[in-house]
Amino acid sequence: MIRKLYKLVILMAIMFILTSCVGKREIDDLAMVMGVGLDLVENKNGEEEVKVTAQIARPADARGQTGAPSGQTGEPIWSISATDKSIFGAIRKLENLSSRRIFWAHSYVIVINEDLAKNGIKDIIDFFIRNPELRMRTWVTVTPDDASELVSSLTGLEVIPGQSIEGLFKYSDITRAAPRSQMIDLHAAYLSDATQPYVARLKLETNELSNQTPEQGEMYKNVTHAGTGVFKDDKLVGTLSAKETRSLLLFVENIKSGVSIIPCAENEEDVTTFELVHEELKVIPDYKEGTPEFTLKVKTTGKLVETDCAIGFDDDQKIKELESNIEEKFKKDINKVLDKIQQEYGVDILEAGNSFNNKLPSKWKEMRVNWDDHFQDATFHVDITAEIKSGALLIEPTESNKRADE
Amino acid sequence: MSNVEQKMNQNLSRNIDTNVKVIQSLLKQNDDVVERTFYLPNQQGNKGTLFYVEGIVDTDKIERALKDLMYTSSANSNAVQTTSTESNLAMSIQTHMSHNSSVKVANTLQEGINGILLGDCFCIIDQSEQGLIFSGKGGEKRSVEEPMAEQVVRGPRDGFTEDIRTNTALVRRRIRDVHLKVEGLELGTKTKTTINVSYINGIVKESLVEEVKQRLNKIEIDGILESNYIEEMIRDAPYSPFSTVLNTERPDKVAAALLEGRVAIFVDNTPFVLVVPAHFWDFLQASDDYYLNFLTGTFIRWVRYIAFIISLTIPSIYVLLTSFHQEMIPTALALTIASGREVIPFPVLFEALVMEIIFELMREAGLRMPKPIGQAVSIVGSLIIGQAAVQAGIVSPFMVIIVALTGISSFSIPNFSASYSIRLIRFPLLIASGTLGLLGFIGMFFLLAIHAVSIRSFGESYLAPATPFKPKDQKDLLIRFPWWHMKNRPELAADNGIREANEKPAPPDKGNSETASNKISDEMNSDANTTSTANKKDASVQRKKSKRIKRKTVKLKDLMKDKNDEDQKSQDNE
Repeated sequence: MIRKLYKLVILMAIMFILTSCVGKREIDDLAMVMGVGLDLVENKNGEEEVKVTAQIARPADARGQTGAPSGQTGEPIWSISATDKSIFGAIRKLENLSSRRIFWAHSYVIVINEDLAKNGIKDIIDFFIRNPELRMRTWVTVTPDDASELVSSLTGLEVIPGQSIEGLFKYSDITRAAPRSQMIDLHAAYLSDATQPYVARLKLETNELSNQTPEQGEMYKNVTHAGTGVFKDDKLVGTLSAKETRSLLLFVENIKSGVSIIPCAENEEDVTTFELVHEELKVIPDYKEGTPEFTLKVKTTGKLVETDCAIGFDDDQKIKELESNIEEKFKKDINKVLDKIQQEYGVDILEAGNSFNNKLPSKWKEMRVNWDDHFQDATFHVDITAEIKSGALLIEPTESNKRADE
Repeated sequence: MSNVEQKMNQNLSRNIDTNVKVIQSLLKQNDDVVERTFYLPNQQGNKGTLFYVEGIVDTDKIERALKDLMYTSSANSNAVQTTSTESNLAMSIQTHMSHNSSVKVANTLQEGINGILLGDCFCIIDQSEQGLIFSGKGGEKRSVEEPMAEQVVRGPRDGFTEDIRTNTALVRRRIRDVHLKVEGLELGTKTKTTINVSYINGIVKESLVEEVKQRLNKIEIDGILESNYIEEMIRDAPYSPFSTVLNTERPDKVAAALLEGRVAIFVDNTPFVLVVPAHFWDFLQASDDYYLNFLTGTFIRWVRYIAFIISLTIPSIYVLLTSFHQEMIPTALALTIASGREVIPFPVLFEALVMEIIFELMREAGLRMPKPIGQAVSIVGSLIIGQAAVQAGIVSPFMVIIVALTGISSFSIPNFSASYSIRLIRFPLLIASGTLGLLGFIGMFFLLAIHAVSIRSFGESYLAPATPFKPKDQKDLLIRFPWWHMKNRPELAADNGIREANEKPAPPDKGNSETASNKISDEMNSDANTTSTANKKDASVQRKKSKRIKRKTVKLKDLMKDKNDEDQKSQDNE
């Protein structure tokens, strides 16, 4: 027994010592990448190359002093970039610049320049899925601006831009200006035979005022959500604006909030704002004379949050009118987006193929080969019911009584 | 040596002087042995000599024994007469003269000497080949105090002392059953320590008692100073860091264990009583669990389970995450940890080991230091570790939190020997996870788990009832079921039939509450045997009723008074 024990102890000691902490890297020896930007550039010989920009956090500056005083530069991020023929090549070149090992696992966001996206993102999907260090839950976006600039601009209240982009996505269900596209969704859509990929679109906008000199006007660039990038296979074919994205999201995400502005009946200048609380879509696929047909049953409920019109919530007649106005407006919006997707881009990013497959699997087998063509021919019937459930805190319209006294 | 043994084995001689000489030669060079010579008050006037050891005897008892032997009064004159005539002097003194409650006749010198050393008083008389041993055990004893190592909020406050008789008495006071057995034996060739094996006949498995006694009888050692001497010699897994024998200072815990069919081993001169068999979970359960509401009991039990897991794994998990698997840390937390570690010159494993050792140092120093200085340790410790080390950039604030959390968790484990063993097995886990990462952690954890599963305590699997899974015993593992629900004894008891027959308590039916109580008292009255108690109860019920009525009338009077006052006021106003 005692000999067995000695053997065990010696074996353990050998195992621990001889492996010499293989694979060990301390957390403070890592350069943690918070965001990745990918651009298309031309080198001296006129060949196209990928430019990888990494936004790296300086922990001491990003967090302030947590332990012993450490040198602080006041710059919470450090952005570096390198170019090469492949992404991995460029990433390896980045290591030349960095005093610490570049660590990709914590990257919040991958920003792809639209020019690069138009050339195809197959290699990007492959690289980011294949690499064990990268997470599948990273946000994937396209941008018309320089990805390197976008990745290194400070946005919002966060000190790390990657974190603020994450924040934008976190609360994007209120604005609904871009889809919540993660690497895992992009990958799934790319592999799928029924749907085409789409990703969120980011843009740089100057709309932040300086605290010290507000008279200079807007001066800081901010990252904002700006619609959707639509892909056919791995190539970017077009974009949807933020407004159009709202209708797209009806198909692909659970809608929790939204805002719709409708002009009043009496006065076109005055508007009523309808806040969407719940929206439900039921897709009923059908097959008629060689073309697929979809009936979209949309049920919208919401509340009245702001109005210039003289509408009291107890006024059933006017509320009904408003509801039908909303229905009309929604129908118009949806049809517009459907037209754009079907006719202009000709790609099914609505997951219509999936629902068709679920309902009519035998027909799907015939159509899956040329699904995008069939999708272009498909007819959509939109059937909307809108319901205003509450007037928030007010029942009576907000009207001044002074006029009545005159 | 052999000379001494020869003398010891000798029978008593008829001549007192030879006997005295032999005893003197055996007990020479002992300042504390007292020799007292006297003459019996009978006709022959036999010479007698009394030996005892000062300090371990109660002098009052010795004096009373001497009084019996030396004086004749009208009350015992007959007895004295008989001793003069009877040939067997010692026997007749025992039966006729002595008032001592447990006087024994000793035939050999050995018995007598042992008696003297045990704290009795040995008396030899001329013309008798037998001596007398008067029980005179006494001397200074610590009184029953609250146990230092295991304290409870609600529950009995008495703890075991160094005196084995007090200890067995504390248990017997709790279990007044004819089946409670306290078997005695003596271990230690030099210390001759009294050991008592206690169990409840009928509940305990007989084979278990046999096994315990067999293991105890195998022990050959010169001295037993504490129960750990025995614990280490009867353990099932002698090399294991886990202790398979439960030790406790609490008589209520021992009583509870006996009721579950376990065996308790009392050792003289130590307040720690051993209980076997012991499961792993017993070390994490406190008496409080059973004395508080079962919901509270379950909750605090869970707190302890969590504390166990924290104290075992948290340092290792922190080390493996920060030095191998940074991708597993949430990003925001990773940044915070990285910023704290920015200026630390040491690897995390080294930092963790240093901090753990400093913590153990502080704990040990606080324990060993004289109490008045003990506080200084904690002040210096908290200042140096908590602040200066972080300010100096030697350790990160995160590591301080981790080590402090580990320390606090290990203190909340009720049995201190279990908390020591958890502290011990933390280090291999820490080193494994610091050198091999998650792989090392899991490997080492599995080694420990396999070891824990494989060991047994007196035939019981150590991790039972979790594994092997015993469905019936689950009522006292994760959830402490209410007492009215624990109907059976644990499976380790021989008799695990019905332990209690209580139903879930509920108030009586609303409408008939009054009549129900009447019925009870009626029944009691009709029972002739219990008339007196029934009357008493009846009387108390009556008293309560009258009190209630009184209170009501007082209330009514108050109300009337108020009303009158108001009426008066309104009249005044008018």
